[in-house]
Amino acid sequence: MAVVETIEHEATDRTPAVQFDFAAGQYRLSGESYPEDAANFYGPLTQGLRQAIEDRASDEVEFTVEMIYFNSSTAKALMNMFQILEDGAEAGLKVRINWCYHEDDETMEEFGEDFSEDFEHADYRMCPLT
Amino acid sequence: MSEAAEAQAASSTLIAEEVLGFQRNMTRRGIIFSFTGYISEGILKALGDALRQKIRLESTDTKTVNRVFSVFVEQVQNIIRYSAERIEHDDEPPVELSSGMITVGSENGRFFVICGNVIGRKDADTLAARLRELAAMDSDELRRFYKEKLREPPDEGSKGGSIGLIEIARRASEPIQFDFQHISDAQSYFVLKAYI
Repeated sequence: MAVVETIEHEATDRTPAVQFDFAAGQYRLSGESYPEDAANFYGPLTQGLRQAIEDRASDEVEFTVEMIYFNSSTAKALMNMFQILEDGAEAGLKVRINWCYHEDDETMEEFGEDFSEDFEHADYRMCPLT
Repeated sequence: MSEAAEAQAASSTLIAEEVLGFQRNMTRRGIIFSFTGYISEGILKALGDALRQKIRLESTDTKTVNRVFSVFVEQVQNIIRYSAERIEHDDEPPVELSSGMITVGSENGRFFVICGNVIGRKDADTLAARLRELAAMDSDELRRFYKEKLREPPDEGSKGGSIGLIEIARRASEPIQFDFQHISDAQSYFVLKAYI
């Protein structure tokens, strides 16, 4: 079976823009997220990420999240992806996560801080935007 | 005017009086909108858009708009996932309709979101215990608990709702109110009210 190299989705009113380039190790999620079915939306992304990390599809990984709003099922999906990234970093992969949020957005800032606690091996950065 | 037309005009007046009275009563209670009946994800989206537009017009700060919206989404998704009155169909696209009530309003300068739906009586006990636990937590404890739940695999029979309830409690400005009314041997009516 051919390996999926990229997953790209345009943003919709309730799902974020997705740019997952597995071969380049560049990943980006941006926008709003409260999908009708979070498992259905994030399942293939999580699967693809897991596979790419296991296969060492790239030497380095940069994962950028720039969300305005997400619901609780999306938070769960983000957590799953972050666990995969931290496991990859622990196994020696160079992983950087950028948590971008508007500087006035306390909710997204708090979420960013909370997620950061789970990273020991990956380079996790908070990126306030003006 | 014929007799039939006169009778119809008289009854229309009564309908107008009744409906206007109903609407005024809702307005007096600060209700922005209230939806009763079968709710789908499509209705969630439409009502959510209307809600955001309405509270933005009231020049509320972005933080409050986002908090009200978030509580609204979690409450409606709880109805969709957990209401015991539901219709499911494996059509393409699949049909998932759940019955309940969702009300958003403002009172003394604060917004509130109320949801009500039927649940199984056995589930009521579990839910009440969970909500009592949340009501006793302060904001730091809720923040930690949310994080803890994110790390765990979902509870059995849960579709992620336990985190949704913590999200509601975190965005609320005071402990969330809840109540149950037994409606039959097998079912209870569950109500949740959150002030933002």
